[in-house]
Amino acid sequence: MRKLIEFIRSVYVVALFVALEAVAVGYYARSTCYTQARLLARSNAAAGAVHGFSAGVRRYFSLGTENKALLERVAYLEERLAQYDEAANIARLRKYMTEIGGSKYRVMTATVVSNSINRTQNFITINRGYGDGVVPDMAVLTPGGAMVGYIIDCTDRYSVAMPVLNTSFRASGKLEGADYFGSVYWDGADPHTVLFGELSKYSEPKLGQEVVTTGFSQFFPEDVLIGRVERVSMNETRTAFTVRVRLAAEFSKLTDVILVENRDANEIIGLEKSEGVEEYIRNE
Amino acid sequence: MLRIVTYSLLFVVTVLLQVFLFDNLSVSIYLNPLIYVAFIVLLPVDTFAVWLLFAGVVMGATMDFLMGTAGINTIATVLIAFVRPFLLTNLYGRDDLRDGGVPSPERLGHHVFLDYLVILVVLHHAVFFTFEALSWSHALRTVVRTIASGSVTVAVVWLLTRIFTAKFVARL
Repeated sequence: MRKLIEFIRSVYVVALFVALEAVAVGYYARSTCYTQARLLARSNAAAGAVHGFSAGVRRYFSLGTENKALLERVAYLEERLAQYDEAANIARLRKYMTEIGGSKYRVMTATVVSNSINRTQNFITINRGYGDGVVPDMAVLTPGGAMVGYIIDCTDRYSVAMPVLNTSFRASGKLEGADYFGSVYWDGADPHTVLFGELSKYSEPKLGQEVVTTGFSQFFPEDVLIGRVERVSMNETRTAFTVRVRLAAEFSKLTDVILVENRDANEIIGLEKSEGVEEYIRNE
Repeated sequence: MLRIVTYSLLFVVTVLLQVFLFDNLSVSIYLNPLIYVAFIVLLPVDTFAVWLLFAGVVMGATMDFLMGTAGINTIATVLIAFVRPFLLTNLYGRDDLRDGGVPSPERLGHHVFLDYLVILVVLHHAVFFTFEALSWSHALRTVVRTIASGSVTVAVVWLLTRIFTAKFVARL
């Protein structure tokens, strides 16, 4: 009798173990990077305050370099603005602005509250959410204007962004000054470099050449700096280049970011899914 | 009763250490120590297998929620919680375990405790990093990550054990 109870007990534990593992593996198998971002966004309701405090401390120590980067950016923009003022007739500019109802892009700033670079699926949490006008699909850039990633989920006060340092990240990029484009992704190895693949073999990537975003992406404005060419190699089938790109953004020191919303994105997506276009696809 | 309070405290401390210190290291992709396994390692040696599994689920699910990892922590933690009784029996022998006590170098002997700790940590980290990478093409990288992060975890858990058992003795 005792043997029987002993046996039932051991089998019961094994069965419980198998059931628990099955549930966990099942949940993981069905999860996407969006599930993970949602978990992070929800847990931030609890952990956000402490993360915010430690981010504040970290931020204080990087204020100097941050300030310098911002000043450089201000100087650059001042210069651009001056060029604009000279070139554009002010009256025509005003008319132009009223016609399209403001710029195509809406810009705001945010502070990073938590950020990892030591996983294969990294995420960045920032301290602005729906309440501040942040919405999924907004582009995230460094204060210097280099690409970081895009927002994938928000709560009222926080948002989670998928940085380029996430193996699920995809964006299109092109060589500065040339129209050859390819896709930008991370292989999970080095947090300072990403891969720029499927680049036409007729392009001529040079070491140090800048890689920027294309205008095709629904997330990023055109010509946002991604990084610089570090190493060029042919892919296995010798049909295209795979380029290793040194990132312009320094992810381990990221404290403040700029968010950019493409106001036309919804309109463009709506148009692409409109009946006229759909009908054409069906007929094909 | 005292036991429940002490272990709740240990749970909170390991979770806080993991989330606010070790998850923010951001030094290298090879350094991601998962020190919260200390909670499973330090449960009393006479804990029932069912309670171990329960502790594994609670700890794993908490870490999944806080780290945003959708199940990998639970998979790895439940596995080591399941393996733990068999490991202790094999390394130490069944009879003496019924007397209870916290697994520590004093209770099990330095050699046995180190073996026990290293096997649990390596098993946990190997499962975690394999599931995170989800591809055999990164096998070498997974091995390096397991060894690098695992050694840091073993060191930290050893330290936590000393602190935890020292406190325990002083209070009794």
